[in-house]
Amino acid sequence: MRNPLSPASLLEGASESSYVRSLVVGTVGVLAVLGVLGLAFPESLAGDLAGIVFSTSTATSTARLAAPIVLAGLGGIFAEKSGVINIGLEGLLIISAFASVYAASIVGVGNAVLGVPALALAFLAGIAASTFLAAVFAVVCIEFKADQIIAGLAVWLIALGLAPFMSTVFFGGVNTPNLGARVGWQYSATMVVLATLGSWWLLNRTAFGKHLRAAGENPKALDTVGVSVSKVRYAGVLLSGVLSGVGGSALALSIGQFVGAGETMVQGKGFIAIVAYLFGNYNPVGTLGAGALFAGLDAVQIRLQQLGYAVPDTLVQTIPYVVVIVVLALVGRTQIPEAAGEHYETEE
Amino acid sequence: MNPAVHLDGITKRFPGVVANDDVDLAVERGSVHALLGENGAGKTTLMNVLYGLYQPTEGTVRLDGEPRSFDSPRDAIDAGVGMIHQHFMLVDPMTVWENVVLGNEPKTWGGLRVDGEAAREAVVELSERYGFDVDPDATIADISVGEQQRVEILKALYRGADVLIMDEPTAVLTPQEVDELYGVFDELTEQGKTIIFISHKLGEALSAADDITVLRDGVNVGTVAAADVTREELAEMMVGREVLMEPATSPQEAGDRVLEVTDLDVEDDRGVEAVSDLSFELRGGEILGVAGVDGNGQSQLVEAITGLREAASGDVRYRGESMVGKTRRDRIDRGMAFIPEDRQERGLVMSYDLVENGILGSQHDPPFANGGRLDWNASRDHAESVIEQYDVRPPDAEAEAESLSGGNQQKFIVGREFERDPELVVATHPTRGVDIGSTEFLHDRLLELRAEGKAILLVSSKLDEVQGLSDRLAVMHEGEFTGIVDPATVTEEEIGLLMAGESLDDDSVEGAAIHDAAGDGTDDAPGGGSDGADDASGNGIDGATGGGEGVDA
Repeated sequence: MRNPLSPASLLEGASESSYVRSLVVGTVGVLAVLGVLGLAFPESLAGDLAGIVFSTSTATSTARLAAPIVLAGLGGIFAEKSGVINIGLEGLLIISAFASVYAASIVGVGNAVLGVPALALAFLAGIAASTFLAAVFAVVCIEFKADQIIAGLAVWLIALGLAPFMSTVFFGGVNTPNLGARVGWQYSATMVVLATLGSWWLLNRTAFGKHLRAAGENPKALDTVGVSVSKVRYAGVLLSGVLSGVGGSALALSIGQFVGAGETMVQGKGFIAIVAYLFGNYNPVGTLGAGALFAGLDAVQIRLQQLGYAVPDTLVQTIPYVVVIVVLALVGRTQIPEAAGEHYETEE
Repeated sequence: MNPAVHLDGITKRFPGVVANDDVDLAVERGSVHALLGENGAGKTTLMNVLYGLYQPTEGTVRLDGEPRSFDSPRDAIDAGVGMIHQHFMLVDPMTVWENVVLGNEPKTWGGLRVDGEAAREAVVELSERYGFDVDPDATIADISVGEQQRVEILKALYRGADVLIMDEPTAVLTPQEVDELYGVFDELTEQGKTIIFISHKLGEALSAADDITVLRDGVNVGTVAAADVTREELAEMMVGREVLMEPATSPQEAGDRVLEVTDLDVEDDRGVEAVSDLSFELRGGEILGVAGVDGNGQSQLVEAITGLREAASGDVRYRGESMVGKTRRDRIDRGMAFIPEDRQERGLVMSYDLVENGILGSQHDPPFANGGRLDWNASRDHAESVIEQYDVRPPDAEAEAESLSGGNQQKFIVGREFERDPELVVATHPTRGVDIGSTEFLHDRLLELRAEGKAILLVSSKLDEVQGLSDRLAVMHEGEFTGIVDPATVTEEEIGLLMAGESLDDDSVEGAAIHDAAGDGTDDAPGGGSDGADDASGNGIDGATGGGEGVDA
């Protein structure tokens, strides 16, 4: 048998879709051209751009920005593979971002409870909040058979209202004060890579992964062999809560603050996460690539602004969505699970 | 020795209905037992009791003499009872071995990894032992229906099934695949497995089973050895009266050309060519049968003719007029009647009552439309007359379509379409899910329409139906007619070859002509045959309404 962790088998499922390959080749190609141009004309825009793209600060901010996108995207894969489309990822990121900062401020940075440092507790609080909200979503969708899209939107809107409100109650403003401590980008990067590999293994090598896939493709088949479709779907949705919770906490703690103004500090990253996993064709590795690409674009745009280029940031932020529309239009179908979005009921 | 399966005095009551009434059934180890009966006879309910999906109201299930009680299919599986559903329970994008072991995966690394090698070996070992030819790494979506069925059997065997229940196992198979399935039965029984299959095809029960138990209205009418019974006796046991086995067709002069299809190309939803370069014509007073395994372009052909799908190229001429660009309504107005294959999707609005459903397609026309308003009295009279003529039960025009059983829904649609006074009837699976008695009636009505000089395009997966009714029989394979043959002289084997995409050379066509015992094997009672999607509603696990079969009775 092939080495289960070889690059070829990691892209299993996605590799047959040529667009993943063209994405990789295209990205590498653009970077190479940019590098050459930058070296040849260091004073030009290309030079500046190359300087930014290949700078460490861009790399570190890419890692920070990619964490919520990739982690929520991985979560989205679990939910959707099981047959529940979770478009509430954005809300899960928002609620966990706030909960983590709140927990850290209660404990006090530098303190510890039972030997667990405050920042680690902050992560746990973020995960708990996000998983709780995901559990509510799961009950509404699986138990009460609500429309998944509407319930997902509700999750987003609830978090969007609740997090700034609680911030105002506890801190007197929609933005929390800065904790004065932050989680380094290395932690974010490590979590992202570990979560990606773990998710890949879980989806492709474990019995749970097979059940998840069956629940999303043909739930009756799973039911008739005696595996509860509901349980598998609950597990999928709760995993999306856990992973989004890590992502949202990482986002807030990497700055040390929750920003609740406007569309909050999450700024659509939960929706970009959906785009990222669609773009990665439900493959965790592809999702990591797409998430890193989108986060990288965002990081470059921020740096360009700082250098005085008038880059329209709102326009740059539409790039992932434009890309996904183009990709979906050109490639057509991705591997959307057959029964995604459909309710399932055992008939006895 | 105790029988492998002994259902002892099983009674199953649903609110208001007795689906099984004191049924006894004993099946010897290593035998093939057919459970024969019309829709609503209680076959599926009885098997669901054996499979643990239903608990019997009274009576005992015994395996090898031991009384057993199953709370769920899981218990039945653990006791060695496996069920192969009519609609396969397979996950299309997964491989054969992944499907076989689903839910019982062998694991390594403390449960963190599915042991793919062990699973694959188990599948290969089982396939070899029973003489199946299945590639464990093939994806389900890529293999044939016959192979998928073998994967379902492997699934049951992998779980240690000793008793295999199969629900309408031949419904989706070509005649060749049916023969292969009978071969599989032999292999399985030789190795001590016991097979019970549900069927309403007489021919199938006679050729595949050792013993046949006939159920009628939930009662065991009798168990007979297949060797000691004739087709006619079985039909009488099923229906409770004598049945005319062959529809009485009489030769008839074909009239004017009603439908002319030229170089028709039609694509399916995915843009793949489903009908390629098809040409044929159909005259008044003629029935053109279209046989073929489902999914070979029949649906797209019918949709292109009736105006539900635009043809990619080619022409459909109806009574001399090109139908290209004509809407569905244009075609209805010109006298095209259509019995769709998916009655719940396209034939009826399930939440409407029969009065409303009865005028679907005629809602613009008098007497139903009256100055922009609907005349509900005329509509009600119309619905009631259809209900009465076509014996729709319950005879209640106010009943919502979804409250009717599949067979009665079908009778209502057929009635509505036939009473449109059409020039052309496009009928897809007109008797799907309809019991033998009503099938006989619907066939007679089709022949009456033919006698009145109407043109009829009859698409059916029931070979005996198309063969028995048609004047000419076209066999469709991958979007083309592999042959148009004379149904009176062609053999089942020849149709099977055509269905599999092979053409008959001249020799075999001549062979067909002299073959006088035509269709001996399949020529069973009208009403035998697949009854596809609708039966699902009575199939327990797979149905929307548990006990639907019972209500049907």
